[in-house]
Amino acid sequence: MTEHDAKEDLQIIKAMLEKTRKSTAESGTLFIVWGVLISLALVGNYILGSLKLYKWEWLNWIAMTVIGWAVTVIYSIRRGRSEKVTTYVQIAARHVYFSCGVGFLLVGLVFPAIGAYSYEAISVLIAAVTGILFFALAGIFDWPLFRGLGLLWWLGAVGMSFTGEGLRTLIYAGLFVAGFLIPAFLIRAKFRKDQSC
Amino acid sequence: MSPDKFEPLDPVIHAQVRLAVLSILVSAKKADFNFLKNLTETTDGNLSTHLAKLEEAGYIAVKKTFLGKKPLTTYSITERGRTALAHYVKSLEGYLPKAKE
Repeated sequence: MTEHDAKEDLQIIKAMLEKTRKSTAESGTLFIVWGVLISLALVGNYILGSLKLYKWEWLNWIAMTVIGWAVTVIYSIRRGRSEKVTTYVQIAARHVYFSCGVGFLLVGLVFPAIGAYSYEAISVLIAAVTGILFFALAGIFDWPLFRGLGLLWWLGAVGMSFTGEGLRTLIYAGLFVAGFLIPAFLIRAKFRKDQSC
Repeated sequence: MSPDKFEPLDPVIHAQVRLAVLSILVSAKKADFNFLKNLTETTDGNLSTHLAKLEEAGYIAVKKTFLGKKPLTTYSITERGRTALAHYVKSLEGYLPKAKE
């Protein structure tokens, strides 16, 4: 073994780790699914609000949550079965997705339903949990953009807690488009690029 | 460092395909045959031979299941394999100039 051979061996290790990382990149499918569902729920809420059918708004959010979870569970099971490789990064990311999913369910539906706090606090708490989701994923996938988005969501949460209903909705919608929908499509584009390499 | 002071390298790992396989499996809980084949860019027969050697040394574990009606063989690194790879990398450092300083 020469110095050159040692370098070559280390190069093989590095290349394989990198190839594995690229082959198991985040596809962004679930991000897009949840993004579309939340968008539909926001539109639904707007329509119900315009028709002054406020009492049905809770049903809109429950339907979105149930559909979202059903799609997530079915997709995860099917993907898990057909997956050619499972990396520890994927396992860590799945645990973060699941914990934040439970967080959304608790702060968005369960706690307000049992009267723990007012429905007005939902968007603030959802934004705080979304910040946790992005910041944790930033560490797992080493994406600096997501670190920034995590901070953006937390700042948004603080900002929303000082504003009235109208402005809060506007801030939330802005955060959702800039801090969720756009990143979801960026992940998808990155995934396609990684897969084609 | 004189050549006689170089730490001997593990002969099981000291082959490009086997080193590549262990490097993939160290970051994965499990990987199937085709995934390993694509990433190592080797042939079925060659990969099978190397995988058998790694399994024989107790560095990887093999699990045979079914995906629908198709057989699915997945591989994972064992604790012994993980330790051996870590030791191999440490030994490699001895051959590099920085480690000599």
